[in-house]
Parts: sequence; C-alpha cells; structure tokens
Amino acid sequence: MKEVAHLKKLSVVKSNAGVKFLTPAAFPGNHCPMHTSLSLSSNIKGMSTLVVGTAECGIYSRRVVEKSAYKDSGLHWTYILDSNEVVFGCRQGVIETIRQMDEEGAKAIMLILTCVPEVIGEDIEGIVYEIQPEVKAKLCFVTMGHFKCNSHPSGFWKTLEALGALMTPTHQSPKTINVLGRSPEEKHIPMPSILVQLIKQGFTLRMLGPKSSMEDFLAASDATVNLVVSPYMNPLAERMKKELDIPLFSLHDCYSVSDIDHILQQLAEYLDIDWGDAFAVEREKLQQGEAQAKQILNQVVYTNTPRSFLPPLPLAFYLEQFGMTACLLHIEEFYPDDRRWAKKLIEKNMNPLLCHMVNDKEDTKLIEKLSPDLCFGEMKDSSGEVAELSHLYELYGQLGYERSADLLTRILQARLKSLDRKEAQNGNVSL
Amino acid sequence: MGMYRFKPPMSGRMGTLYTLASIKDAVLVEYGCMGHMMYGRVFLTQAGVTDGCQLYSTHIDETDISLGSTARLERVVAEVVQKENPRAIFLLPSSVPTIIGTDLQAIAYEMQDSYPTIPILPFGYGGFDIEGNRGVQEALHLLVQKLPQKREKTEKPTFNIIGSCADLFRFQEDSAEIVRLMKGAFDMEVLCTLTSNTTVGQIEDMSGAHINLVIRREGEKAAKRLQKDFATPYYVGRPYGVEGTTKFLEAIGEILNVVPSQAFIKTEIAEATRQIDPTLMMFRHMIHSHSDEIALSAGGHADVVSGIRAFGCGEFHLPAGDFWCDCSTMSSEEIPYYSEKEWSETVKEKDGLLMASGEVLAWAHKSKDLQIANPDSRWRVNPYGAPFVGFRGAVHLVDLWLNTALEQEESNKK
Repeated sequence: MKEVAHLKKLSVVKSNAGVKFLTPAAFPGNHCPMHTSLSLSSNIKGMSTLVVGTAECGIYSRRVVEKSAYKDSGLHWTYILDSNEVVFGCRQGVIETIRQMDEEGAKAIMLILTCVPEVIGEDIEGIVYEIQPEVKAKLCFVTMGHFKCNSHPSGFWKTLEALGALMTPTHQSPKTINVLGRSPEEKHIPMPSILVQLIKQGFTLRMLGPKSSMEDFLAASDATVNLVVSPYMNPLAERMKKELDIPLFSLHDCYSVSDIDHILQQLAEYLDIDWGDAFAVEREKLQQGEAQAKQILNQVVYTNTPRSFLPPLPLAFYLEQFGMTACLLHIEEFYPDDRRWAKKLIEKNMNPLLCHMVNDKEDTKLIEKLSPDLCFGEMKDSSGEVAELSHLYELYGQLGYERSADLLTRILQARLKSLDRKEAQNGNVSL
Repeated sequence: MGMYRFKPPMSGRMGTLYTLASIKDAVLVEYGCMGHMMYGRVFLTQAGVTDGCQLYSTHIDETDISLGSTARLERVVAEVVQKENPRAIFLLPSSVPTIIGTDLQAIAYEMQDSYPTIPILPFGYGGFDIEGNRGVQEALHLLVQKLPQKREKTEKPTFNIIGSCADLFRFQEDSAEIVRLMKGAFDMEVLCTLTSNTTVGQIEDMSGAHINLVIRREGEKAAKRLQKDFATPYYVGRPYGVEGTTKFLEAIGEILNVVPSQAFIKTEIAEATRQIDPTLMMFRHMIHSHSDEIALSAGGHADVVSGIRAFGCGEFHLPAGDFWCDCSTMSSEEIPYYSEKEWSETVKEKDGLLMASGEVLAWAHKSKDLQIANPDSRWRVNPYGAPFVGFRGAVHLVDLWLNTALEQEESNKK
C-alpha cells in the first residue's frame, strides 16, 4: 500500500529516529519530553528544577509546575537563552542560576535542557562537573530535545535514570525491595498479587515512581532487589544494577505462563522464599486462556493505536505464540530495551512496519484501509469495521498471571464478537 | 533573557501564533518540534480560541536538522491542502528551525507555484531577543500586506478593529463592546476584527472599511499599511471610563467627519452614571479614611494599563499606586517596564487595589477578580462577560474596585 511505503520495518529500526509518522500532519501531536521530565521531577517532594531553553519552554512549563502537588517543596525556575547564548552557549548563566538556587536552599536540582541547548551542544555534564563541588544542592541533569524522539516517554525514563546519580552505595537491607514503576499514591489501583505475596512474606516494599519523595530515591540503594513494573523504570534499574550491584527483575514485560513461572522461580530463589500455591488459581486461568487463544487467535492480524498503552514489542512477542501477526505497530517510544525484543521477534519471523501516530482521525482512515482483524486501543471516529480493544488503560499497574489472563479474555471476546458480526453480515448478504 | 522564577516574557513566535490562531478558514503549519504546538493549543483553548485556524505541526528530527531537509513541511502542506481546503496557509517556524536558519520565505515562495489559489504566508520574527509584542505587530502587518484586496468602500459605513488578539486578556469582551459602541454611535457595522473574530475572506475585504480602529499599539504598523494601500484612515486608542469613551467616539467622529449619535452617548452616560453614582460615597469614605487601601496599581499591556490608570486615577480620582507594563520595548516614563524582580518586590504585601496578570495576583495574594493581563491560570470559555473598555467597561471596573476594596477591608478586620 503506497500510503505506508515510507515506513520502516522492525528489522531496520534501531532507535526513535527510524520510527516515521504514519500520516505527516501532527494534529494534535504529542507533548515534548520536557513536559514529562518536569512533571515527574516537580512531583518528587523536595526536588527543585531548572528548565533551560526558550521562552516557550519557560512559559508553558510553568503550567506543569502549577499542577505539582509538591511545587512548594522546591524551587522551580527557568533559564531562557538569548540570541548571544544561542551562539556562544549559556554556561555562565546556568552556573549563576544554580548558585542562586543553592543559596536559596534547593536540596537537589534536576536540570532539564530542552531543544535549543541540545541543538547547540551545551555541555551540561561539564557544567555539573564544574559546579557540583561548590554547591550543597545535589545536581542531576537530563537533555530533553524533542527532535530526538517522537513523544514524551523519554522524559520519564531518562529523568528516572538521572535520579540514579543521587544514589550512593549503602548497606543492603535483605528485607527491602524497591518496586520501580508504582507510585506510593496509587492506593486506588489494585495491588498485583505478586506484590501482595511479597508483603505476606515479610518484605518491605518501597514504591518508587511519580510522587515518590526524594528521600525514597536517596534511600533506594539499600534494597536487596529491584522489581521493575513499568518500562519507564528499566534504565534506572539497569543503572542501579551496574553502579550499586542491585539485581533487577523486569516483571512488566512477562506475559506467558512459562515466562512468568520462570521469573517467579528466579525471584523466589534469589529471595530464598517459597510461593507455595499462592498463584495457583490465576495461573490456571491463564493456562486455560492460552489454550483457547491458540485455537481462536491463529492467523489474526492486528495493529495498535496510541491508546493501547501496552508496550507493543513484548506484547507482540507474546501474541506470536498464538499465531497472531502484527501488520503495523505504533511505537510511542523505542526504548533501549526494545532492541532485545526486536531481535527476539525477528528470530520468530515477525517483522511488522513501525510507525508513530500523530493525527488520530487520519490515522484511523489508514488503519481501516489496512483492514486488520483487531486493533489494540481505540480508533478515533472509526467505522466499526475493525474490532477494537478498548479501555486498555484499566490494565495499568497490573502484572503477572492475572494481567495476562485479563488481557487474553479481552482479546478473545473482541475476536469472537467480530467473528459473530461478520457472520451476521455474511448471512444478511446471502439473504 | 536569563533566569526567571515566574513566566518569562512571551517570544515573538508565541505572539505570532496567538495572532494567527483565531483566523477562520486558514491553516497554520508550525515547522518544528510538535511540543510547541501542543502547548500553544492548550493556551489558546484556555483563552477561548476554539474555532479559528486549524493548527498543525510537522515535527522535526535529527536528520532534518543535520541535512536541512524540509520535506516534512512540504508533505504536511500537501496533506492539509487536500484535507482542509484552506483559504490561506500560514507557516511558522519554531525555535530549532530558527536556529538552523530554515528559510521559510524561500520555501513558501517555491510552494506557492504548486498552490496558486491559496496564499502561503511565511511568518518570521522567531529570534531569541524578540518579545511577543513584536510577533503580534509583524503578524498583523504581514496579514494586511498580503491578504486584503482592492474593494470599493462599503455603501453603508463599516470599520475594522485591528489588534484584538488572543494574547490580550478578555480580548473578546473588549472587541464586542467596541462593536456595540460603533453601532450605537455611528450605526456602523464591523467588517473585520483582526484577528479574534475573522475569516480569511473578511481580511481580504478589509479595504472596504471606512476606518480602522487600532486598539493596541502593535496594530499601528498594519493600519499605516492599509492607509497607504487603500487610503483608509485609522485611530489608535482604547476607550476606558465614561469620559474616555465619549472622547474616543468623538475622535473617531472627527476622522469620519460625522458627529456621533448624541442620543446614544447621552443614554449610555446616563446609564453608566446611574450605576456608578451610588458607589461614590463609599469610595470617598475609603479615600478619605484609608487611602492606601484604595490606591490603584496595575501591570500588564502598556495600552491597557495606561487606559485603566487614566480612568481610575484621572476620571475616578482613586489614589495612584504603581503602574508598569510587561514588555520592555513599550517602557515609557508614564508606564515603565518592570522585570519580574521589580514587580514581585513592588506588589508583595502591598495594600490597595492591584490589577495585573493572574500570576502577579497569585504571588501578591490578591483577588484574581482584578486580573487584566496574561499569564492566566484559568479557563476563559465565556466570551460574553463584561468588558473593561467602553461605557459598560467603566461600570464593570467600578464594580470590581468597590467589591475588592470591601473584601480586602473585611479581610483586614479579621
């Protein structure tokens, strides 16, 4: 189809740069990563922020800070480049601003550089190296040029990774586990049974995510293990493994019974615990779902939209075992870890086109022309011809056997409903 | 530029966007990272601009930057022409193309051949020392330079408003009051409200108007251009207060060589006076007993502040506090520019009535009812509220001053 001829296949994509827009005109498009970086940083109690960029970045970013629950627990300033600094750099001005923030009591400052300082190659690492010995405030930085990505997730994962700079090695507590990717304020979201079981086994879970306090991040180096429950957190977990020797168990990308069995067994061995039959019921349910999926979902062709929320490559790897094929995948962010998933998919001869969707109405028209059997996530103003899996945000925060069982139930229901509708349509035609 | 604890001044690019975004039947394509437009769209929606330009962004990536490729822009223009069938296309650079020197003028010139019936206008003023007011000024100027066609003056007299743009606080209410005043005083209809309530077609027809009313200084360059091209006279000013509004109408009458309807003016003055007069005794008491608490201070657009000061401290005799503008290039002896350091120190723990932006009022812990400028933090979905200008604006201002003074008095007693 000529409308997708400009897209690249998974096998040749190595980063966000290879993921092209499905349709060219962004309407409304995506937020920049500065937005998410600042949102996350300003919601860490005690953290101060300094956005370095243009007047647009300065003005619009204040809206993000205004919404922060902890905006008064730190200083949230901007440094705006003038025409001279665009040519010669803003090093001196940024250093003076850091000094001033330090004098006014900032405990830790997240320096967020936006597009222009990144284009001109401002050496923020050098600035931090130079000024850190002079100031009491702990400094960390992120470069958030939007031209390096299509959307905002890097604002989360790069900022979280940068927070690793605040952590120092300490004595490890064998009964403390960091849960990377679950906010301490997410009490309204049901706790996955894996975490419930860990609490029952006597472990203290430290929830690290948006709205965690700076003290929690600073203390995180004492944990015996990091459980990663969000793709945003993998880079921080990798950094903590490398710099603090804390092992990580990535749970969010495990979908199949066998993969979940495997990671739970590894975790039990590492923690020296026995799960007993804690997960027996949900495991059994998932086993049944997988058996049914093998019968019903074979040769189902699917795509996804930005409203699918589930990272598409690990999911595609899971669905491949039922004979499902992705024809086109929307990639919100090509994570560093996605190269590993891409390799695994290509080994299975799965090589879909990748795209980034920025204009939901136009994208819907194109998806419908591709006529997949199923679409993960809602399609704006769709004709109803393609079966849509909607409300997938409800899976947010879920993990393990129960998440996969819930997901398979939704897929199977959508597929069966679609088959029924088609059958009815064919029946009407024959009449 | 430099360090800011509050919102920095608007850039020229933002001024341009806020000027163009309300023009119907047009498409605006921003060339650059799409985060810009996402935020711009949020501002515009909150300011009440919901049915103007279709706003698109191209986004830009590292390859585009390093190779200087503008193919994205061409693809987006091709798509929006096909989907939207616009009457005009506005091209706007975001910050990165401004740095790498993307020549939007040349690109627009080349594209124009492919779309001969759709004017493609490249807007600039994206430099890093240019404030928002310059963006507004140059956007208004380019619009009237390129779009208006030669038209006969309308048989029944008409007028244009120049400078009603989304960056001004309560721009819709103020322009609606001017339309009402012109109808009442001269039986004139508005031809084009540039830009808050207009279509591309109405801009093309602007030359048919008998006068241009420039309601902010950034619009004067555009008005001069229209005077040169179509011999349309213009008047620069904003009508504040009862006397101020009367003088505003008389000055327009002199240019048009028409006496404004005395019956209308008399009725309006009588109505405003009837509403305002009962408050005078209370104001006199407050001025006499604690004048600091009723002193009027204001910060915002220089023309707005100047008008409110003239009414409040001139015509209405409130004690004068501090008056400043929010744009360094508009600074004058009468209304100086205050940096954030200056205004934040000026307004903190200061008694009296303070009219300023939402941000300043929040910092000063003052009533947000007295907001007269952006930055704003609230949604302005109702364009039918009371204006600040005109006879009705005078009543509105007096109402705000009195109730705020009473609230502050009650609060002080506690």
